[in-house]
Amino acid sequence: MVRDQQDSAWPGPRLQEQQCFGACGSSSNHPLSQVPVGCHGITVYRCFTPTLAPAGRKRVGRKSIFFSKEEVNSSVSSEQFTSTSLPSVAAEKFFESYTYRASFCSFIKQTPFDFSGSFVQELERETVLQVLYRDQMVRKVDEERIRKLKMQLQQLRWKGTKSVSHEYQERSCARCQKSLGLVMNRGAVCNGCSHRVCSECRVCLNPYLWKCTICYAHGDMKVKTGEWFFEERAKKFPAEGRHETAGAKLLKSYQKLSKISVVPPTPPPFTETTGRNTTMEISQSKSFNKSVENLFLSLATNMKKISKSQNDMRADKSLLTTDYGQDMERRKERRSQSDTAIDIANRIKNIPSLQQLINGTRDDNEVFTKRYCKQAEDIPTSPMSDTVFCGGKKHNSLYSINSTCTEAGNFDMANVTGEIEFAIRYVFKACTLEVCIKACKNLAYGEEKKKKCNPYAKTYLLPDKSSRSKRKTAVKKNTVDPAFHETLKYKIEYSQLETRQLQISVWHSETLKRRVFLGEVVVPLASWNFEDNSTQSFNWYQLKVKSEKPEDNLVQYNGELLVCAKLILPSQSKKCQYEEQMRGGREDQASADGQLHLVVLGAKNLPVMRCGGTLNSFVKGCLTLPDQREIRQKSPVLKKEACPQWKHLFVFDGVTPSQLRQSCLDLAIWDQASFGSNDRFLGGARLSTSKSFIIKKLKTKETLQYSFYITIIIIYNAVAVGAPLRAGAMQTHTHKHPLA
Amino acid sequence: MTDGDYDYLIKLLALGDSGVGKTTFLYRYTDNKFNPKFITTVGIDFREKRVIYNSRGPNGSPGKAFKVHLQLWDTAGQERFRSLTTAFFRDAMGFLLMFDLTSQQSFLNVRNWMSQLQANAYCENPDIVLLGNKADLSDQREVNERQARDLADKYGIPYFETSAATGQNVDKAVEMLLDLIMKRMEQCVDKTQVSDTANGGSSGKLDSAKPEEKKCAC
Repeated sequence: MVRDQQDSAWPGPRLQEQQCFGACGSSSNHPLSQVPVGCHGITVYRCFTPTLAPAGRKRVGRKSIFFSKEEVNSSVSSEQFTSTSLPSVAAEKFFESYTYRASFCSFIKQTPFDFSGSFVQELERETVLQVLYRDQMVRKVDEERIRKLKMQLQQLRWKGTKSVSHEYQERSCARCQKSLGLVMNRGAVCNGCSHRVCSECRVCLNPYLWKCTICYAHGDMKVKTGEWFFEERAKKFPAEGRHETAGAKLLKSYQKLSKISVVPPTPPPFTETTGRNTTMEISQSKSFNKSVENLFLSLATNMKKISKSQNDMRADKSLLTTDYGQDMERRKERRSQSDTAIDIANRIKNIPSLQQLINGTRDDNEVFTKRYCKQAEDIPTSPMSDTVFCGGKKHNSLYSINSTCTEAGNFDMANVTGEIEFAIRYVFKACTLEVCIKACKNLAYGEEKKKKCNPYAKTYLLPDKSSRSKRKTAVKKNTVDPAFHETLKYKIEYSQLETRQLQISVWHSETLKRRVFLGEVVVPLASWNFEDNSTQSFNWYQLKVKSEKPEDNLVQYNGELLVCAKLILPSQSKKCQYEEQMRGGREDQASADGQLHLVVLGAKNLPVMRCGGTLNSFVKGCLTLPDQREIRQKSPVLKKEACPQWKHLFVFDGVTPSQLRQSCLDLAIWDQASFGSNDRFLGGARLSTSKSFIIKKLKTKETLQYSFYITIIIIYNAVAVGAPLRAGAMQTHTHKHPLA
Repeated sequence: MTDGDYDYLIKLLALGDSGVGKTTFLYRYTDNKFNPKFITTVGIDFREKRVIYNSRGPNGSPGKAFKVHLQLWDTAGQERFRSLTTAFFRDAMGFLLMFDLTSQQSFLNVRNWMSQLQANAYCENPDIVLLGNKADLSDQREVNERQARDLADKYGIPYFETSAATGQNVDKAVEMLLDLIMKRMEQCVDKTQVSDTANGGSSGKLDSAKPEEKKCAC
């Protein structure tokens, strides 16, 4: 641009310097190098070596852009360099001169300039593109016009339907079908079509020349459509598209390559190949485009996935600090619906180590929840127990997981103001929790600008955020002081209440399903005294903004699984040996195989999502050994039972005590799907071992026999869930329970 | 301008060295305005204008009036766009080859442009008008009329001294080019349709109609 004013086109005479400025650099008279380029009177030749230019592409050379020596040698900035010597991308694409690009890029590499000025090109391309789009409009209008013209001509032809096959049996005008006389009005043969036409169906072009109406119309159309031009041009360029204009071609090639347009204009494959005799296959660059296309495609898909799972994101973020962060990320992407045991194993994340359970057996009636916290902190070095289990201390994404099926995260926040009046009571007879929502006052406007508010109240019995625990009041129109007077009821056992929180939120119902959050109150039911009448009266509660970390100390309780485990070793003597070895810390020598027997007795308080209140449940067990070997077991399906009693024995073979110490056992309960749909994950528990596993017990007993309840942690809507389960508070009641 | 209510779409293209005034010329022609600023054209551009073309009959009598939609392509004179601009040469039916009367170099380059046209235009001898622009800057003039006219005569093309600033000969030049194109158009059609000289009237033999010699598809 700088030198624009003096930019001269071609050099007059060819100058002496004939060295190719392209990649080949040859100074000989190259067959394709007859391309002088001049700026400021200096001529530079640049050839396209035969290797670069396939046969028949000679014209590429002529049409390409060249660099004057001055441009190259002068210390212009890179931007200037690009702006003065770079051809527009469009042009580049037009010629599809990959060959050209190849040498161009290698040329760039040879020069000391970097290629950062590409944005100039970008802008230019945009400008050119806009022109091309305008041109496209013109063309479209013209095409429409031509189409109409052709239709008119066609109609004209149909009118005069004298076809060739009907010879002139009858003397008539080929156009108007009027019969012609022998002497008078006998008609004449048209020079164009050789049909005999009457004197009225002629158009006189000059005193000596006339045509029949159709021949005239045909010629007229040829002129009007510009066909004459295309005909003429086809004589000169027979190989090229007859009607295709440069603009159309350019635009087409751009659109073809539009995917690539986001990529910086230097195509990587070309820059990679810098050798002088680089062969650049067109197909290669096409495949490059293709791969880029694929890349974008997959990117787009991933984007979709990400946006789909963005509800989990918030929770995930907090999780990244834990050891499970990587797993999380992976799963988030995968979101496989085929829930394998591995998936489950990743999801399940609670739970006490086997050792802890076993230790627990010493103090039979102790509830271990608190202890686990302590122990977990005591032994952070253990590989399996570094997932710190503590009643909700590390809580994962349950909140947002479940919100996928309720809130979907798609709401606006108002400036929370106002209060809500409600009362909570528990009806022992009916085992029902009743939430009486009376009214709200001074609510914020859902739509601040319009001063509109259509409030309604919604409750969840957290941590369950599925639709099962959702209750809603009616929507009150246009008020910030709504009176609801509604009682929302939950059928729930009293004993379970202490694990729950009652969340009462107020929302503005906007049109098109968009909701605005107006505030919430969360009542931990554990501390609620339902026996006391004073707590059952109505009270005003200040509405609050959403808590960032919901239900901190809350347990996700989803039932209990009763299992019984024992480790069977081959012989007493060997066992003793182990015992000694382990005491001495020589763990490596433990070689004999044992069997871990695990009896899955039954489960209770499972979440029943099926109508009819039954489940077709089964248990999957997966023992992961330290060498990542997995032993999987599956129980039969018990149909139509809410509290299944499988009494199924899992036998995990080839397990040594030393291995067991570093193993973990995942147990998962599934609900078998009826037809085709995916089985539903009801919950699971992970039992992991730690250092001093079993040693003490080995002293006193040949086999280990334990039975214990495991509080199961459930993920609602397992299919939609990609995040691992949060560690829930564990209520393990371990009993000595000899196996039959 | 977006409707298809016209009889002909004629594509003209202005070419010449950078800065000779192609864009301004076209701007003057289409909008009848003058923009003295120099804004370099990026690659290509076009302007549109709809005109009435009065065809003249064979004996100079006024013939039919046609609505002509002109698409006037403006090209960048800059070297670096050459590959792009020359690609558009093949779509144009007529050319406004311009040089700057105040720049000898631009006049010298006319020769090169001509050879470019021969190489890239739709035919070997397309319709061209040679325009010496900036005729209003008579004090800076470097190319005299004689030179230019000689060159134009050599190529057998009309020559005009134009000024986008004053509007001198602008319309006339374009009309001239349009006229040339329309004439060629008719010739082309006549050539293909009427192979031999017309022997009009009713002298044709009755049974000489031979269907296989048809030129049009009727």
